[in-house]
Amino acid sequence: MENITFRIRRYDGTNTWVQEYRLPYEKGKTILWALTKIKDEIDPTLNFTSACRHAICGSCGVKVNGHAFLACKTSLDKLLETFDTSVLYFEPLGNYDVVRDLVVDWKPKMEKMKKIKPWLLPSREGSIEEGFRQSKQQFAKISSSTDCILCGICASECGQLAINDGGYLEPFIINKAYRFAVDSRDNAPEEHIRPVLENELWKCIHCMQCVSKCPKEIPLTDEIAYLRKETMKMGEVHNQGARHAYAFYHDVKKWGRLNEMTLPIKTDGMVTTLRKRIPFAYRMIVKGKINPLRLPKAVKGIKGVRKIYQQVEEESKS
Amino acid sequence: MRYAFFPGCTLESAAAELMISTKKVASALGIELIELEGWTCCGATHLQDVDEQLALAINARNIALAEQLNAPLLTVCNTCTLMLRTAKKTLDENLQLKEITNQRLSSANVEYQGTSEVTHLLWALIQDYGLENLRAKVKRPLKGLKVANFYGCHIIRPQEVLGFENHMNPRSMEMVVEALGAESVEFSQRLACCGFHAVFPAEKEVMRLTALNCLSPKKAGAHCIVTPCPLCQMQLDMYQPDAQKGCRDNITMPVLHLPQLIGLALGFEPEELAINRHIVDAIPVLRQHIGVI
Repeated sequence: MENITFRIRRYDGTNTWVQEYRLPYEKGKTILWALTKIKDEIDPTLNFTSACRHAICGSCGVKVNGHAFLACKTSLDKLLETFDTSVLYFEPLGNYDVVRDLVVDWKPKMEKMKKIKPWLLPSREGSIEEGFRQSKQQFAKISSSTDCILCGICASECGQLAINDGGYLEPFIINKAYRFAVDSRDNAPEEHIRPVLENELWKCIHCMQCVSKCPKEIPLTDEIAYLRKETMKMGEVHNQGARHAYAFYHDVKKWGRLNEMTLPIKTDGMVTTLRKRIPFAYRMIVKGKINPLRLPKAVKGIKGVRKIYQQVEEESKS
Repeated sequence: MRYAFFPGCTLESAAAELMISTKKVASALGIELIELEGWTCCGATHLQDVDEQLALAINARNIALAEQLNAPLLTVCNTCTLMLRTAKKTLDENLQLKEITNQRLSSANVEYQGTSEVTHLLWALIQDYGLENLRAKVKRPLKGLKVANFYGCHIIRPQEVLGFENHMNPRSMEMVVEALGAESVEFSQRLACCGFHAVFPAEKEVMRLTALNCLSPKKAGAHCIVTPCPLCQMQLDMYQPDAQKGCRDNITMPVLHLPQLIGLALGFEPEELAINRHIVDAIPVLRQHIGVI
């Protein structure tokens, strides 16, 4: 390959267009190298953001061929191999307002972040003199989540944000809530968790984009599961998400399998199910996809399954 | 080839046609599927919201049942694949947790050892069966059928758990579909989520997504969608009439399970593969483009 073609989506505040640039191929270069070279040597009007060049500041997130990357950390060779092409299409991060070219507006996201109180609400155990000490085990709980560099890649790729009207929180905000909720020095985890619940926590669609694309490999989906569990411990069990999760929990315990017939009733309640789902149920019955008369049978070995349940439950109580 | 078969809950009810077509196809290809006796629901990414240790233990039990058969565990559901492989990865990489989990499993008289791989039919066809062998079995090449391959999330993401191919540009579906003689169509939502797991708490958003997921392949010229996941199939097919209500464009798209498409190429008729069970009728499209009865 002699050249790489860069097709970059441009935006001047009013108009959008695609501009093409070409650079001679050089082995071992990064996305950021290409953007910098284009700006320095071909077109000084191209706008993008970057700062540290060491995957620490998080300012150079950009989309290439439909996927978000940290520009300073991602090698062009990897992209050319992944997409088996010499043409790369650059866009600003998704799910952000665009300011210019590849520059996005962070202000609305930071305003949203305030909802979850992204700061320590300290316990009384520490003091100015002694500080707020943590054991290694306590630090381990926040170690991964504090790696977040606010690059916005998780938000760019989030499947729920792409279809949401603005109520859902960006995964990096959820991560921040988790980070303070589990911090041993914080005295008010509920104050971080409750805003996440109230901002559509259960609407995560499990697309796994955030956890797959995070350049710091933060286990964001595990954090979402943890926060959900904590909301249920707080007594927030009368919502669709919690009831849906418990339907699985109880069905597996009782029969070993999910009962699809009763799942809508367990999730939405009888009244809502009857009100909302009759046309749906009708077309399912007509096609033989559900059988209201089918009764579930417990799987072979169900007693063993229940014993596993019992043991895990006892352990979590102790 | 012999596998411990993990059907997953939907194959017993709303996606029974996938059970029918999987068994037909496996038999025609000479693949032996032994259904695991006593398998339980994988938790479908919901159980861990209540208790992640429980989700780990019940999937360790499922894999342990496959180990008793001395066979790899095969699924035809993306989410089952994700849950089972997550459990396997967690236990194989954390010996202390493996020991704790085995203490829990001992009350059910099973032990997780880590000897059975967890795979999906799509991967097994490529990795174990071989595309050339599959191509040799084709009796009715699907020439003229334009197919939109809808991967579904849990067969590609997260890469560290699934890992069969690059999650940003997978090609396995295209490879199989082309071996069957059909044409793969590129479309913008190819790697999108179907939204199935949030259809209750995020109904409005998921219907929006369903409309987009049907419209994108339609605009790209596809005759049908094909997916390796029953949950994606159910979301895109069963809820299509609901998604249509909020959309001005006609989004109508038939949605097939991967084994149904393979079965058509092997010479089975749509009814034998229970294609007539779908909400959106796929048979007119198949009649028009590949001449099924």
